[in-house]
Amino acid sequence: MKLSTKHLLGIRDLTKEDIQIILDTATQFKEVLQRPVKKVPSLRDVTIVNLFFENSTRTRISFELAEKRLSADTISFTASNSSVKKGETLLDTVNNILSMKVDMVVMRHSATGAPHFLSKHIPAAIVNAGDGINEHPTQGLLDALSMREKFGTLEGLRVAIIGDIMHSRVAMSNMYLLKKMGAEVMLAGPPTLIPKYTAEAFGVKVEYNVKKALEWADVANVLRIQLERQNQVLFSSLREYNQVYGISRSLLESLGKDITIMHPGPINRGVELDSDVADSGQSIILQQVENGVAVRMAVLYLLAGRDSN
Amino acid sequence: MNRLIKQALINDPQSPFNGKTVDILIQNGVIHEIGDSISAENCEVLDFAQATVSPGWVDIFTHLADPGLEHKETIATGLKAAAAGGYTGVMCIPNTNPVIDNKTQIEYLLHQSSSAVSTIFPIGAVSKKAAGQDLAEMHDMKNSGAVAFSDGTHPIQSSGILVKALQYVKAFDGVIIQIPDDTSLGGHGQMHEGLVSTQLGMPGKPMLAEELIVARDIKLARYAESKIHFTGVTSPKSLEYIRRAKESGAQVTCSVTPHHLFFTDKDLWEYDSNLKVYPPLRTEKEVSALKAAVLDGTVDSFATHHLPHEIDSKMVEFEYAGFGIIGLQTSYSVLQTVLEDLPNSKWTELLSINPRKIFGLPAASITIGANADLTIYKSNDYQIFTSAAIHSKSKNTPFLNRNLKGKVLGIINGSKLHLN
Repeated sequence: MKLSTKHLLGIRDLTKEDIQIILDTATQFKEVLQRPVKKVPSLRDVTIVNLFFENSTRTRISFELAEKRLSADTISFTASNSSVKKGETLLDTVNNILSMKVDMVVMRHSATGAPHFLSKHIPAAIVNAGDGINEHPTQGLLDALSMREKFGTLEGLRVAIIGDIMHSRVAMSNMYLLKKMGAEVMLAGPPTLIPKYTAEAFGVKVEYNVKKALEWADVANVLRIQLERQNQVLFSSLREYNQVYGISRSLLESLGKDITIMHPGPINRGVELDSDVADSGQSIILQQVENGVAVRMAVLYLLAGRDSN
Repeated sequence: MNRLIKQALINDPQSPFNGKTVDILIQNGVIHEIGDSISAENCEVLDFAQATVSPGWVDIFTHLADPGLEHKETIATGLKAAAAGGYTGVMCIPNTNPVIDNKTQIEYLLHQSSSAVSTIFPIGAVSKKAAGQDLAEMHDMKNSGAVAFSDGTHPIQSSGILVKALQYVKAFDGVIIQIPDDTSLGGHGQMHEGLVSTQLGMPGKPMLAEELIVARDIKLARYAESKIHFTGVTSPKSLEYIRRAKESGAQVTCSVTPHHLFFTDKDLWEYDSNLKVYPPLRTEKEVSALKAAVLDGTVDSFATHHLPHEIDSKMVEFEYAGFGIIGLQTSYSVLQTVLEDLPNSKWTELLSINPRKIFGLPAASITIGANADLTIYKSNDYQIFTSAAIHSKSKNTPFLNRNLKGKVLGIINGSKLHLN
């Protein structure tokens, strides 16, 4: 089993077969994670650097754990993008690290296309851990794994993605992946947070009424309101957002059916998701987190290209 | 020094020799004789074998980056590139450091360029520091040699300031140049807003931002009864507004860049920062409309939007890369490659006659007694543009190693000569 790509820059570049290979491999690794000894020697002697030019807790920890479970040597580097902007260039930073014999780079960056830029100039394999408002491919994959576990297949599944589509790389990766795997996608949220061309660009439906979207959906993937990524005022207040677009228990109960609730985290409780929804039996949010480690193990393992031995 | 050009095809609708293949004798920078076969002694003979000669071309929107940004370009390197690109005249934008917003700066440009082959025609800033707030001393700059006024890559946003500027320059029959862009729409945009930007996860600039300013500025120019020129027009709707304004007698002109006729937003699929330009590259639909507007005469002139950037400004993440590409040397070949149907006489109008007329520059024509202001080129030759051929200090161009049609051989500006 081999991926068609040397890097994981985005779901955009993956084939349907690539996605299947990654999800199948992740399922195997998930089984490993249930064992008393959770570690495998697959990536022994492989050195991986985690470059986080933008704040992250859960993605960074998830990658680090995945690397350690695979017995890779890892180092992590966190820097605010402003220091990078003012000082050393990205290419210099990465080349300096690579000169210390690093095999793979996991990178999160606030600029769209940063990992694509890097991939043209360095020899190491790159895993995109989120670039600007573009993609967050491992999140898309772990969401897919979580849905596949729950429903058996993605084919024909109705997925509503709700909230701040405009600033969400999670939404981008999910749309690319779900469309490639034959699922149906509907976006819902305030019109100011759904880019004008998204429906046409991805072949997805758009709905401004969250209740209607939930009535249609099997799964609701509720996005975090990205307060930190907004360049201008796109909605009036968090209070109003919660009232109009937030997912509450009473809203779910009014649907007359059970739908599955997902969220990429971290949750703004009481904004996009109320606590009694996030912590309910309909939520698979913690399974998503668990699957994150398995999916990242699969991606790193497959990109390291050691499976032929 | 006297020069004799042998057997060149004259492309100049203003000249009685238009369309004829003749010899041209230049004495002391003036066209002394034109004839079927001239023999003269003590002169340099230039025999290009089937070249075309047209009145000297003018670029109307070039960033020479000097003073203050000499790591990108200097007046000397920029004018060398201009000469190599066939331009005997270059209108340079004021976005230097400090901004060209007073007569001392204009005089600096004229003084620094005096030994170059190409002539500099400075564009003064409309507002002090090109900050869009207080009017700069435009009258003073005009008297020192500024030929037009613009805040260059920072188009004026305030209607109030622009209308005052339009009224102010009327006193000396001046022209204001705008890149039409409402920066409150898609101000963070990195490329054209559309399907491709959405699929690439890139903040977009909507075409609406251009159309609004074109519509508004036409109204302001009408109200002020003054002259405005839009450069880097990309939208079919903008062109429609301009077409209608012209028909109704408004003093509106416009120009397009070569790269907007060549590339589309799809070319950004690999995040090539050398395709990050301002205004952004649009879709195939707009490219076709722009070409049609060049052919039907809505477009008055070309503008290179030559914007040099050192390698460190482009070898970065796309979002951090500077906007703009160099264009003086590739302009003609790119245009010749994409505009094969443009009739011969139109070339001279768009590259020489119109810009000179719009901005009140010295006229150039291939007639006896006129100053020698000539561009020599071959329209049917192909050439591959290489890095080694770049005269500009910066190499930020997406045209490297492309096979382009049309080749500039050189220019003659008075008694000065540049040959490629």
